[in-house]
Amino acid sequence: MALWIQITPGSDEPIYLQIVEQVGEAIAKGQLAVGDKLPAVRKLASELIINPNTVARAYTILEQSGLVTTKTGSGTFVADPSLRGKDAADINMLADRMDGILSRGLNLGLESQDIIAMFKDRLEKFIKTRQGGRRKND
Amino acid sequence: MTEFVLETQGLTKFYGDKLAVDHIDLKIPRGCICGFVGRNGSGKTTAIKLLLGFLKPTAGSSRLLGCDSQDLTPAIRQRIGYVAEGHRLIRWMTIAEIAKFQSAFFHEQPASAKQGDAGWDSKFFWDMIDYFGLSKKQKIKHLSNGQRAQVSLALTLAPNPELLIMDDPTLGLDAAIRRQFLEGIIELIMRQGRTILFSSHILGDIERVADKIVVIDKGVIRADCSLEQFRTEVKKVRFVFNQSPPQTIDIEGLLGSRRSDKELEVILVGTADEKIAEWAKSSGAADYQTINMNLEDQFIEYTAPAGRNKPFTWEAK
Repeated sequence: MALWIQITPGSDEPIYLQIVEQVGEAIAKGQLAVGDKLPAVRKLASELIINPNTVARAYTILEQSGLVTTKTGSGTFVADPSLRGKDAADINMLADRMDGILSRGLNLGLESQDIIAMFKDRLEKFIKTRQGGRRKND
Repeated sequence: MTEFVLETQGLTKFYGDKLAVDHIDLKIPRGCICGFVGRNGSGKTTAIKLLLGFLKPTAGSSRLLGCDSQDLTPAIRQRIGYVAEGHRLIRWMTIAEIAKFQSAFFHEQPASAKQGDAGWDSKFFWDMIDYFGLSKKQKIKHLSNGQRAQVSLALTLAPNPELLIMDDPTLGLDAAIRRQFLEGIIELIMRQGRTILFSSHILGDIERVADKIVVIDKGVIRADCSLEQFRTEVKKVRFVFNQSPPQTIDIEGLLGSRRSDKELEVILVGTADEKIAEWAKSSGAADYQTINMNLEDQFIEYTAPAGRNKPFTWEAK
């Protein structure tokens, strides 16, 4: 169950954000589909050996960004994408993150069209994994 | 109203004329896992001993579970678990004997007890010993450091303490045993209303299990906030200049700085992003960026002896 979430203490990235990123990626790749249930907070905390509040914090952020919804008493589920808000702040943050990647690419000596091609290639692979079936969750 | 299971007021300890603990004001709410960090000789162990009433404060006071540390009754002590640095146990006893010895300080749990009830939980103790691959007949003196630590943890957790205080419990343990220790901590915290204070030098462990961090330096509490807040508020920013960087750096929350020909790196605490942007503009920086740090870097920068005579305290919001 949820063994695919791997956390690294001592990383630059706080643990709750590592969980947010990994769940986000699994949803983007379709490894978690709409309606799939995320592991319960306490269960994930004891599996990963981390503080339950850290997991709860990650779930709250996922919920605020509209990726999951929490139904009281039954758990946290992957939300319907049509209901996810496209927040201007989120989009700005995404643009900021892209800057980092772009500067690395340019520093490696890549041309603009190379970078665009790489982006396209990765995006296609993402979509392919999405169609190519879901991750075995248990 | 939040209930504080551990509270200190101006707690101070002098050894002769040496100040070991300097006016500590701490409040730890029920259900919190608090990581207590500080460099060697920063006053962690003295503070812990004061809390448990093993040392008398020179000034100030502390309370555990609502009872003054200097007057802890046996009934209150039953509800507090303590793991001392170095896991000292009576060496000539076997595990069975030490379990019997320890359990005598607590009332036995009745057969009808539910998991998590107070009192000596014999089944829990032996399950844990079994999990660690140890057996009754082994003598303490023949155990390795790691195994002694495991017995010590089982002895401390078996009475199901409401408040657990551990002084560097994972010191000198291998990675696998440390992991089991952390599992034990998480297991305990899952039970409603349990509170843990533990000191450690391994910041990765603190990051895993703590939700609150308390940083002590030269006997003074330098930070007391949520771990998440510490992670986000202590940051490193690098400014790039076209000329040499300015000599005076007047940014709010400045903790330290390093400079090169055209660069200036500063460590900031609790500085708002707008303030950083403002300073970059007013000082004529060409560009700046925030550099992510891990918890260990943050801690080292935070406690770096950067010639600050007056330790500065950052109050959690």
